Amino acid sequence: MRVRFWGTRGSLPVAQKAGAIQAKIARALVAASGQAFADEAQAAAFAQANLDFATYGAYGGATSCVEIEGADDAYFVCDMGSGLREFGIDAFRRCAAGHPRVFHIFLSHLHWDHIMGFPFFGPAFDPGATIVFHTGHPDAEEALRRQQEEISFPVPFDWLKARMSFKVHRVAAPFEVAGVTVTLIQQHHSHESFGYQFVRDGRSVIYSTDSEHKLDNMESEAAFEAFFADADLVICDTMYSLGDTVSLKQDWGHSSNIVAVDLCHAAGAKRLALFHHEPTYADEDIQRMHAETVRYEELVRADRPELEVICAYDGLEVEV
Amino acid sequence: MDWELKRSATRLVGEPRGRVDETTWEAFSQALTGAVREAAAAGGLPLIVDLSGLDYMSSRGLRALTMAKREAGETVPITLAAPNDRMREILAISRYDKLFNVTDAVEPET
Repeated sequence: MRVRFWGTRGSLPVAQKAGAIQAKIARALVAASGQAFADEAQAAAFAQANLDFATYGAYGGATSCVEIEGADDAYFVCDMGSGLREFGIDAFRRCAAGHPRVFHIFLSHLHWDHIMGFPFFGPAFDPGATIVFHTGHPDAEEALRRQQEEISFPVPFDWLKARMSFKVHRVAAPFEVAGVTVTLIQQHHSHESFGYQFVRDGRSVIYSTDSEHKLDNMESEAAFEAFFADADLVICDTMYSLGDTVSLKQDWGHSSNIVAVDLCHAAGAKRLALFHHEPTYADEDIQRMHAETVRYEELVRADRPELEVICAYDGLEVEV
Repeated sequence: MDWELKRSATRLVGEPRGRVDETTWEAFSQALTGAVREAAAAGGLPLIVDLSGLDYMSSRGLRALTMAKREAGETVPITLAAPNDRMREILAISRYDKLFNVTDAVEPET
């Protein structure tokens, strides 16, 4: 399987302002002081080798949307945040090259930042496309229809041309979709959310976002450790620090980087992707959070095998 | 994880030893909450958690500290004392150094 991140930001899409770009350029120029480059390719190679990600790259600002490639003749997409728009454009390109126009969309929940991309999802206007929404919420269709009512959006849901259907699944009841075994787990979040486990050919990917692990219910984490067991990749809500989740941001429905590490350690997972980044964070803040998480994993690893900690960004592709 | 509680006329000092992780956090939490209740029953003595014998604490242990702090309320001030370098880093990464009073050593009784 291959996992492709189209949107990794939490709560609200964000865009870099000129000041942030100018600061990156200034840092790069200082780092390249005294260097001479024959062309842009040489300069790019220097930048990639010598600059940190927050200077050379960017984490992006689209909200949750993650593609999992590897199903039989179908696209798999987790959530429809603002990153879905760009996925839709890329899917048109791939469909033109022969990819079947079948989309299986797995919804964690129905909050706006996880469905806001759908009104801009080009394939929904394609009469030759099939879209199946997989959800744990019986009111998923209502949520999608409501955000396209005239008061909010000019194109009503009924004008969409794709063949669409909704499948409501129970938790802990595995089902098969296009050669992949999928299982849901219920998570603590306003109006509930659901995590997904995708298994194919002995490989597994977990998508667990907008999930608060409550202070007064730590016993329930055994269920998540079992759900994450031996996973090759766990994509996890790591929006806040632990300190935030037990103080100011308690009951906001999100988790922390270090709880994610602890769950993955206990589960024997191989790789953790930090996800659903706080929208007020600059690239430097996310990079620091990533470095701190890597360090925390070292500090508490003990005799366990190393858990690789990566930080999701818009455009990242991960082979599983 | 081992735990020892020392009580004097002016304070309680809890001494966890070993590590607090997913296998030991419940014992730690129970001992800590018991110490808070004892400190409260004694009229609100301060509780010092002497971390010098602790190898490290994962998020379960940190969250047990938060539960103890809630139990303590305004009655029992809790101080985390003498963390080793590893624990000091964990307190900083988790931002618990902003939620708790952290001292370099267990201060002598006055």
